[in-house]
Amino acid sequence: MRNWLGPLAFGLIVAVATAYAAIWAIPYGLMNVAIERLGQGGVNTMSYGNLATPERQPVVRPSPDLAYSSCPYDISGGPIAIDVAPVPGRYTSLSIFDAATDVIFVRNDVEADGKPFRIIVARARQAVPKGAEVVRTDHDHGIALIRLLLKEPAEIGGLDAIRRQSSCGTVTKLK
Amino acid sequence: MKGWHRYTITLVGGLAVGLGAAWTITGGGLSGGAIVNGPWTTSLGFGTKATDPVTRAAVARAGMLALPAKETVYWSAKTDAAGAPLDGNCRYSLSGTPLDARWWSVTIYDAAGYLVANPANIWSVNGANVALDNKGEWRVTIAPAKPAAGAWLPGTKGQPFHLTLRMYNPGQAFRADPGKASLPQIVKEGC
Repeated sequence: MRNWLGPLAFGLIVAVATAYAAIWAIPYGLMNVAIERLGQGGVNTMSYGNLATPERQPVVRPSPDLAYSSCPYDISGGPIAIDVAPVPGRYTSLSIFDAATDVIFVRNDVEADGKPFRIIVARARQAVPKGAEVVRTDHDHGIALIRLLLKEPAEIGGLDAIRRQSSCGTVTKLK
Repeated sequence: MKGWHRYTITLVGGLAVGLGAAWTITGGGLSGGAIVNGPWTTSLGFGTKATDPVTRAAVARAGMLALPAKETVYWSAKTDAAGAPLDGNCRYSLSGTPLDARWWSVTIYDAAGYLVANPANIWSVNGANVALDNKGEWRVTIAPAKPAAGAWLPGTKGQPFHLTLRMYNPGQAFRADPGKASLPQIVKEGC
């Protein structure tokens, strides 16, 4: 039995270290899955998702009252710009999540006075356009999400054109 | 048995136990929150940088891409007012007064947090589509069969269900003391 004391102590250390590492890694893994599922339309471009239904649930607990537009981003090659056009009188919000699933920016239509706004997402040292509103992040990857609340699912038809005015893309001009 | 055999066995065992523990610890979901109000539970730490690794992993598993509390408070209910698990075979009355928020909704999910197909294609009720009675209250029936009158949130026979209450831009009075806020009642009427 004494032969097992060393191996058991070793196994315990392995178990604790594995648990710590796995807990730390879970958000990153799930964010990668979300980027993959939401990124069917491409990275650094806005996808205007259909309403959630039992057949279409890219993430857990999707809200069937929300029209989600998503931009999975990769800023390793340079910053991206997100343009948001709020829908008048409707809750609209932009939220930006990093690779660890942390929220790094949120703004809703009331905070924006109902006006369109542009946000640049960039790494610490990346050059950005002068005067732009910039969100700095420590991660290359993440998801920008625009939520638009609907009173009824049928409203999406009439509001789709406005929500498609919101966009996302690589920053090409620095002036 | 040689020494390295024993180390190999405990290495594999340690990895398995560690992974299992990580999955169990982070499986508390949204109900692992600190604030309880009747059958509803929440945590105001969702979606912020301040959350610890365990909360972050639990939120990523239960409510990926959740908003922080000033934007949205997510309440989760797995039981009725009497503490019994929510059962898709039963009929419940979900009722309350308009909530202290710019907008609110209650959505029905299966135990894993996904929408379940139903003939009516209804998965939620919200502040804009419930009618108020002369006492200023709204009422919704959760049941597998459509009620004779009133709003309906379809349950699925043979399956437990969970409810998520979302409050968008909750009011200051609510945020001052969420544990005492007036939240919807979930009362079982029969099975």
